[in-house]
Amino acid sequence: MGCSSSLPDRSSGRLVGPNGENGGASDAKNLRVKLVLLGDSGVGKSCIVLRFVRGQFDPTSKVTVGASFLSQTIALQDSTTVKFEIWDTAGQERYAALAPLYYRGAAVAVIVYDITSPDTFNKAQYWVKELQKHGTPDIVLALVGNKADLHEKREVSVQDGMDYAEKNGMFFIETSAKTADNINQLFEEIAKRLPRPAPPSSSQNP
Amino acid sequence: MEGSSSSSSSSSPSSAIFYDFLDRMRNPASLDLVRSIKSFIVSFSFYAANPENDGKRVQEFFTTMEDSIRDHPLWAGATDQEVESAMEGLEKYVMTKLFSRTFSSFPEDAKTDLEVSQKIHLLQTFLKPEHLDIPLVLRNEASWLLAEKELQKINAFKSPREKLLCIMNCCKVINNLLLNASMSENHVLAGADDFLPVLIYVTIKANPPQLHSNLKFIQLYRRQAKLVSEAAYYLTNLVSAKTFISELNAKSLSIDEIEFEESMQAARLTNEETQKEATPSPEEMTSSQGHADPGPSARLHDKEARGASNYPYMDKEAGDLTIGDVERLLSVYKEVVTKYTGLCTAFRQLSFSRIENHVTTLEDRNVLLPVSKETGTNSDQRDGE
Repeated sequence: MGCSSSLPDRSSGRLVGPNGENGGASDAKNLRVKLVLLGDSGVGKSCIVLRFVRGQFDPTSKVTVGASFLSQTIALQDSTTVKFEIWDTAGQERYAALAPLYYRGAAVAVIVYDITSPDTFNKAQYWVKELQKHGTPDIVLALVGNKADLHEKREVSVQDGMDYAEKNGMFFIETSAKTADNINQLFEEIAKRLPRPAPPSSSQNP
Repeated sequence: MEGSSSSSSSSSPSSAIFYDFLDRMRNPASLDLVRSIKSFIVSFSFYAANPENDGKRVQEFFTTMEDSIRDHPLWAGATDQEVESAMEGLEKYVMTKLFSRTFSSFPEDAKTDLEVSQKIHLLQTFLKPEHLDIPLVLRNEASWLLAEKELQKINAFKSPREKLLCIMNCCKVINNLLLNASMSENHVLAGADDFLPVLIYVTIKANPPQLHSNLKFIQLYRRQAKLVSEAAYYLTNLVSAKTFISELNAKSLSIDEIEFEESMQAARLTNEETQKEATPSPEEMTSSQGHADPGPSARLHDKEARGASNYPYMDKEAGDLTIGDVERLLSVYKEVVTKYTGLCTAFRQLSFSRIENHVTTLEDRNVLLPVSKETGTNSDQRDGE
């Protein structure tokens, strides 16, 4: 007799197994997702994530709050859950060459720029190109214009962000980590766009 | 900021886990498992060593064994946690047995270790936190020292899990520093923008023994199911730090290019002069915290090969070389070997007179040979026989 048959729910946790790096699913109802954050330093990558992680209120969810690695689980309307394992990357130029070590195997890349800084928008486009070339083949890309609360200082128009994202088949959103605007929407949208593993009816993954 | 249970299986002390595993293996009912384990270990000697293949075979074995353990009468009705503990025990047992075969067993690995350690040694002489633009509020010597000590413990362990824990602990110290700064100093939490520079700086200050080999060992032999999430993230950061250091030049730092070159050159010269002083410096004494001496070989690497980095082919790839280089390369090679041999002899004599108690393990160990270490902490592992 095996525990694996008597405890299907738990044993499935193992299925994340052999290569847990693929952002793979624990099972069809509970996804576990590796999400990598890219963007220039100072665009507020970490603030977005902190907002997201601290803003969620679900006493049953297990939250890991570190300075650079965070995880948070969200429940979707179709009663599935998605656990985001969020890998922050150092945005300074001198570390740019190290990014592949982080985005390898990521299921989602969130590329952040600051709407008050065209330079960071250029840098975001650089990351988009790099991920299109070297990222996981079916990676979900999200382009995020942060600091949307700073209207007066805006230098990148909403239209520019939207156009660029559309041209590259990405999801686009403007957020404000400061006011929490669109933060949850960002992650919920990503969750909806994730490729789903085989439907629950086909009992086992191959 | 506690470690999530998914990534650090540190809930029970590792020695307890391990003894529990050994106890179960002594149970006659587990004879079939013991046979599988032994025959797997023996089978390794039938194949030529090859890191990628070895890693794959070990991982496959772990997966197979996990199924066997789950289905085994001895674990009937066991919780996931108990099976998990058995797997941790198994990993430790198998990897301790295969340690000399799998750890830094390739000349290239030893060479990379040496290069990284040497480069760090040079950087240590002049690198300042401002060169990495580390904010003032994060310049906390006490925290850094704690983090360094965790990294330096890495050779005190043979199991991938315990080695990985050293890295996790180091990263957690840095993490706490960042979180504290954000709470008490009103420093905006900048995540990886702050974390990575501090980790790089701490790594340079610590100069952990056999850094490259340790990272590779964990990547290949830590059970893949455990190399996810937070653990994978922190491991990636240290790999990242190592890569950054290996490729570091003036442009990687906030430093004037001429100043950088001069400082590196000065460090090389100082090294050549101090080479004769073979007494290990306090930073290199990694045997703190009551652990057994983690790796005399690492210190030896440092000592023996200092000064070799001003040879012209050190930064070259195989593809950069031309036929015309052969003659020069050979003469440089001979020069290096001659110096090296001379230094070894001199060092050994010096060591005997100065640090007699350290010398026993150094002996004729060549940096290019696989280094097998028997440390006190691991003597219990032989009980499993």
